[in-house]
Amino acid sequence: MILATYNIKGGVGKTSAAVNLATLAAREGARTLLWDLDPQGASTYLFRIKPKVKGGGARLVRGKTDVETQLKGTDTEGLDLLPADFSYRHMDLALDATKKPTTRLRRVLEPLDDYDYTFLDCPPSISLVSESVFEAADALLVPIIPATLSSRTLDQLHEVLEAEGPRVLGFFSMADRRKRLHRQIMDELSTEHDVLETVIPTSADVERMGAERAALVDFAPRSRAARAYADLWEEVRARLT
Amino acid sequence: MEPLLTLRDEFELREGRARHGITVFYDTFDGRLHADGVTLRHADGQLVLIDRETGDELVSADATGARRLFIADLPEPLRERLANVIEMRALTVIARVRVRRQSVAVLNEDAKTVVRLMLEDSRVTTTGVRGYEGELERVRELLPASALPFVDEAVLAAGGRPAGTSAKLDLKLDSDEPATEAAMTVFARLLEVIAENLPGTLEDIDSEFLHDLRVAVRRTRSLQRQFKAIYSDRLQHFRDEFKRIQQVTGDLRDLDVYLLDFDDLRASLPEAMQAELDPLRSVLEHRRAKALTATRRALKAQRTLDALHEWLEFIQEAPKSEQTVSELASHRITRVYRKMVKMGRAIDDDSPAEDLHELRKVGKELRYLLEFFSSLYPPDVVKPFIKTLKGLQDQLGRFQDREVQANALRALAPEVGQPATVMAMGVLVERFMKEEIAARTEFADRFSAFAGKAQRRTVKDTFG
Repeated sequence: MILATYNIKGGVGKTSAAVNLATLAAREGARTLLWDLDPQGASTYLFRIKPKVKGGGARLVRGKTDVETQLKGTDTEGLDLLPADFSYRHMDLALDATKKPTTRLRRVLEPLDDYDYTFLDCPPSISLVSESVFEAADALLVPIIPATLSSRTLDQLHEVLEAEGPRVLGFFSMADRRKRLHRQIMDELSTEHDVLETVIPTSADVERMGAERAALVDFAPRSRAARAYADLWEEVRARLT
Repeated sequence: MEPLLTLRDEFELREGRARHGITVFYDTFDGRLHADGVTLRHADGQLVLIDRETGDELVSADATGARRLFIADLPEPLRERLANVIEMRALTVIARVRVRRQSVAVLNEDAKTVVRLMLEDSRVTTTGVRGYEGELERVRELLPASALPFVDEAVLAAGGRPAGTSAKLDLKLDSDEPATEAAMTVFARLLEVIAENLPGTLEDIDSEFLHDLRVAVRRTRSLQRQFKAIYSDRLQHFRDEFKRIQQVTGDLRDLDVYLLDFDDLRASLPEAMQAELDPLRSVLEHRRAKALTATRRALKAQRTLDALHEWLEFIQEAPKSEQTVSELASHRITRVYRKMVKMGRAIDDDSPAEDLHELRKVGKELRYLLEFFSSLYPPDVVKPFIKTLKGLQDQLGRFQDREVQANALRALAPEVGQPATVMAMGVLVERFMKEEIAARTEFADRFSAFAGKAQRRTVKDTFG
């Protein structure tokens, strides 16, 4: 099962969702992989792993690199990482230079079908990279900040995706129920779109992940946001079975 | 933490919480896991399969520990890995130790875990983290080498044998020693096998204790017969006693075989009929319980224990024979081989089944002789000879098994009662009879390899 955390916009909680959900999946005993596709390498950094793929992104998407040799075990048993690499910033160009560019990511992942769950932490954009992600993923996990602009994401996604594309599972991220606007948008969007019930609250704990260099569910498992990720994972799994 | 001192100069370590717990090790009586290069242990609610050499965890699964585990009792991933290793044997506890367990993470300069350690008392096992193989190698260099796998140390401390208890003969005989001396070595080893498998038979741990015990009894009887010329008349008393032991344990073994085969037989029926065979299983199990009681009583009887004890005295005190073992063994092997050739040649398509059974019996005698005395002859003669013989015996065995099975099912039919079950049994009987005929047609080929000119010449040159 391939799950991509995706949003056209940045800073909406993609990496946080990918890292925490993948950690939760591995802890339940599922063989789990996370591919950090974002050249900034935020999830790679959180796992304390060097952002380096031998030969860079271009060789990787052309199928010239044995992907298994590039995997790194994280501190959570059962969770491996395919690290980010700074060269991923040119991945669009690299993909464009291949035949059938949108199938390339899927092809890279083919030898890794031993994993029960593969998470793709995607860079924000609409590009060849995201098109390749749509082609590879079984479902998109789309964090939505309940503010007017970011809420348009779901509409845009449905315009781009074809009928046989991945399932789209939106969920509210960095939400603040004390704000009237947030509550209002959440209510509206939930009636127009299929949005998951679990809401990831805005929280200082989530921001602490960068300083702790660890998943929230590891260093503060009892925090409100960590419990929300656990609920989210349960809901996502229930939706996908 | 003493064993980790050498690591601290180079790496930061993060210690997990220490826990005291019981670690239990399992293996089959004959050490099949050991022979397969793995260790199975239970600790912290988990069964873990470990590579003996590297200490790497191969498979693990949540499970409760039990005194005895059959393959069906194991969780799925372990079942898959071990089914062909342990087969019908039971895993039993071979050692039980109380240990202090602590996990320790070896960190790099980013405080990232690069190697995982498990401390069990003063022992360290390492587990690598993917993509950090260099660090694993370095950590292993720095750690003091442990001489013996933990399991072996624990088993030895408990007075056990790490490699298990084999029922193999593995004898080294001297061709010039008197036949009585060599025979004593063989008989004593067979008595040892009987003694080693007796407790497991009485406790009914798995079917193979009785099987190995009976094979040792059968081999003893065979050598008694072949070497009877070198013993006094009192030999007859022991031949009678071993025959009795063979007979009183026969029913139980037959029922074990039926029950071991039951699932395969059931699966071979058309799907709609499979459930209808189940009442037969209850009948077999009921009978087996009775047979077990009878076998236990017979094996525990003073008469049996006395017979085994006196038998050992008898072979130890037998006056030395004039004949050397190689003279007598060669003579017997030649005689039995010729007898088989003669019997086999007389068999044609119209011969009664009885003739084939008799041939198989004599074949067993030959097989045992070759096994007992293999150390006296060149392996490049004995090994292919046993192989050819085995090919013939297996074929004769299939023929006989089918007939025995068909007869057994017929005999059981009145006891089962339910018509649907009897019908399912009828399907099996029919198939056995067909297979019996098929096995018979193979006979001529197998026999001609065994009794051909080349083989006859080899036998004459080596044993004649």
